[in-house]
Amino acid sequence: MSSSVLICDDSNLARKQVLRSLPEQWTVNVQTATNGAEALDILRTQEIDVLFLDLTMPVLDGLGVLQGLKDESIDCSVFVISADIQPEMQNKVLELGAKAFLRKPVQIDVLVNNLQQHGFI
Amino acid sequence: MTALNLNEDQQDCLQELINVAMGQASDQLARYLDTFVYLKVPSIEQVNAESLSTTLNTEEKGIAVVSQGFFGYEGIRGEALLVYQPKDSDRLADLLGYEPDELTVEEQIIDLSSILTTTFLNVFASQIDNQMSYSAPRLLSSGLHSVSDHLEQLSFNWDMALKVKISYQVTDYSFNCDMILLIPESAILNITTVIDRILDEF
Repeated sequence: MSSSVLICDDSNLARKQVLRSLPEQWTVNVQTATNGAEALDILRTQEIDVLFLDLTMPVLDGLGVLQGLKDESIDCSVFVISADIQPEMQNKVLELGAKAFLRKPVQIDVLVNNLQQHGFI
Repeated sequence: MTALNLNEDQQDCLQELINVAMGQASDQLARYLDTFVYLKVPSIEQVNAESLSTTLNTEEKGIAVVSQGFFGYEGIRGEALLVYQPKDSDRLADLLGYEPDELTVEEQIIDLSSILTTTFLNVFASQIDNQMSYSAPRLLSSGLHSVSDHLEQLSFNWDMALKVKISYQVTDYSFNCDMILLIPESAILNITTVIDRILDEF
């Protein structure tokens, strides 16, 4: 069975970096969003299994997305991939329900480990 | 001006390199000040010498500026300006927690600027397999003329420059500091080459 994946980042390069890092054996159906508001629109109308989420974005940032998911009780596994590596920020996203915090630029082995840990591959 | 314009992909790539560097610099700042730093999407624009003076003039009235040059391989170089509002520089002593007789406010501002500049640029450089060296940071006396004069003294050709503006907002203390990277025309071309190399990998 394939997983539905949403990659949300305002940078095209960063979205490609995530896309390139997804393991081959993982059958996925991938969509992308360029800011938090776009991502929430998709998350409200479709079932998304895994969301890879950037934090610093225009329109609506990653924290806003996590808060939105919580407020609207939308069930989705979120892996935050961000350059904002301050410990306080990492704690904040985990408190808001993210599965893990991964630092940018995302490393393939780290991403794969995290997907394994949470049973996606 | 058109000849130097970065296309959408190049701009995006540069912005992402800057994002990663900015994230680590703000992490250093947060640890140093034991606080949280709020990050915004950085702005990147091309400016000519004339508009550079004007923008600095209108945006940064009554400023304290620390200037530090950076030099990497492959002709990547420029000048980093750390810009503080005067009201913030008064607060810095409290923030940094130095004893009053330990260091002057000026020395503290130079310290902090150097941490931000070198962390940012080291991370930026490592992403493009480069390495930076730095000139000693200098605090320019307040007032625009000293900034303009200082820029003119540098051996760069400022006919055209890339202005990257990053705001570090320390929320607890409502303290802001802007990092402005000025990259001369020749270095922009070199950076573009490096960016194209990264984009080719994707």
